[in-house]
Amino acid sequence: MTDVVFALAINGLVWGLIIALIALGLSIIFGLLDIINVAHGDLFMLGTVGGLVIATATGSFWVAIVLVPIIAFALGLALERFVIRPTIRQAALTIVTTFGLSMMLQEGVRATYGPQPRRMAPPIGGTVPLFGIDYDIYRLFAAIFAALALAAFFVFLNRTKLGTRIRAVRHDPETATALGIPVARVCGITFALGTAMAALGGVIAAPITTVEFRTGVDILPFCFMAVVIGGLGNLQGTVAAAVLLAVMEGLVTSFANPTIARIVSLAIMSGVLLFRPHGLFAGATR
Amino acid sequence: MSAAVNRAALLVLAAALLAVPQFLPLLNAGFWTNVVTEILIWSLLATSVNLLFGYVGLLSFGQALYFGFGMYGAALAVTHWNAGFWGGTLAGIVAATLMAVVAGVLAVRLTWHYFAIITVVFSLIFYFAAMSAKPITGGDDGLSFSAPPVFDAFGLKLTLADTVTQYYVVLGLTALCYGLLWLILRSPLGLRFEAVRENDRRARLIGINVYLCRLTAFILAGAVAGLAGALFAFFGRYASASYMFYHVSGEATVWAIVGGVGTLLGPLFGTALLIVFRELVSTVWENYLFAVGALTVLVVMFAPRGLAGLWSDGLAKLSGRSASQPDPQAGAAEAPR
Repeated sequence: MTDVVFALAINGLVWGLIIALIALGLSIIFGLLDIINVAHGDLFMLGTVGGLVIATATGSFWVAIVLVPIIAFALGLALERFVIRPTIRQAALTIVTTFGLSMMLQEGVRATYGPQPRRMAPPIGGTVPLFGIDYDIYRLFAAIFAALALAAFFVFLNRTKLGTRIRAVRHDPETATALGIPVARVCGITFALGTAMAALGGVIAAPITTVEFRTGVDILPFCFMAVVIGGLGNLQGTVAAAVLLAVMEGLVTSFANPTIARIVSLAIMSGVLLFRPHGLFAGATR
Repeated sequence: MSAAVNRAALLVLAAALLAVPQFLPLLNAGFWTNVVTEILIWSLLATSVNLLFGYVGLLSFGQALYFGFGMYGAALAVTHWNAGFWGGTLAGIVAATLMAVVAGVLAVRLTWHYFAIITVVFSLIFYFAAMSAKPITGGDDGLSFSAPPVFDAFGLKLTLADTVTQYYVVLGLTALCYGLLWLILRSPLGLRFEAVRENDRRARLIGINVYLCRLTAFILAGAVAGLAGALFAFFGRYASASYMFYHVSGEATVWAIVGGVGTLLGPLFGTALLIVFRELVSTVWENYLFAVGALTVLVVMFAPRGLAGLWSDGLAKLSGRSASQPDPQAGAAEAPR
């Protein structure tokens, strides 16, 4: 029994780190552009599908893991320029545009890639003994890779010129404009970065989940939960909340069914929204 | 002048809706009558979004929850208590209203993003609960039942099995609902709603109980969504938990905003546009949802105030005056966070 609980907790941790990557993308878009991106889950889905398609075409998963985020970044730039920016002044409208976008992405993938769910063989097979259980090597790799990507993002945000600009625009767009920061371009890059992170999460997750046009629908509420429980605009909080939630769902799943686990995390989220609306980690650095 | 035009347009709309079953079957027996029936029902769900967003400035992304309660209220009352059509409809409205009271007491403490998110969360909780409570709700497969007659006395029997009867029953109830909302929205309560939407701080300073106002609107919106759900259950003769998913709420929000929030009939036209478009494209293209998504994005980009905005701008241009209507979204977008 303890083995099962332990395995599910580790699964939760792995999944949590991947979700953290996706949710962080959602969080920076939300924090900087003040839009609720309903299409974010579908950008993740695009990553899983793109990963599978490119890996099959080139015969190498590693090409996909490099190419997909780059393509997604370009797609993000285009989406921001042509779909998001025209409606940016009215935050409510962006929910509608991203909702329309979400329909287009799902249906576009269904039309081209097909409706049937597929599975992707992990690029690294085999298991490794881990505290008494045999654990999938690929899952460990996915967790480490996601953690590295998260760390790289925070280094980028805190140590580079562009990262500093992004933080400046988040903090006070007007002053940033006055200081000569090209705010519109920074917004575009941020959206593209968020898109790329969702897609990268998708490529990493492709071998451990099903690849189909609907996966984004399930992942979106979970990402929003992480963003809200971590505190809107609190990036480190988002990461911590994603990992906490996933591990908790993993643990609850070991003695109840996954639906109950999902209801429990939703109930926690309502509690956080009502009693700690600035997130569990309010007061932490923004 | 524009008021007169609007009144005339309303008469034309009413006449057209009354005449629907007479003309549409010529094109395709019963099919388009059912499409218009469906539009009327879904427009009520869009109206429930509009009541909150367009009139008190709260963007809900979870109205499908009350729609689902309306569906199950009606379906369970008919299957377990042998309730008739009217009893079932009432049960649906009551179930949705009670749920809205419980959810509203908590949800309207929050505004803007937080409100949008907590409404989704509430609807997801009950969606998952309904999905796993298969013995009661039927889960994904749903709960089928046979619709009781609408009226059965004095030798006259009206049933929903007849497409035209069903259409007029739905039209009557929808019209009644819009009529009541019209009365409410032009009453002092309706003015208070708008004051809260425009500026909740000023509204509070002139003595309006903002919390109570928002709660009233929330419960009202829940009841309207419940009516929509009950009617849809009778229309499809079944209730399913899948209608409580956030995608349904999202669609309703899209219909309301595409139609134009802050106007009573805007959502009806938004719903009509997107559903008619969907029905037309789906006959020629399998991946019609792509086109629906594209249309949604385009409408919002080129008509940010929705169809109602286009209409009032058009009227203003015709009468040679500039549009002086305040932008209904402006208030909501600037709501303090």
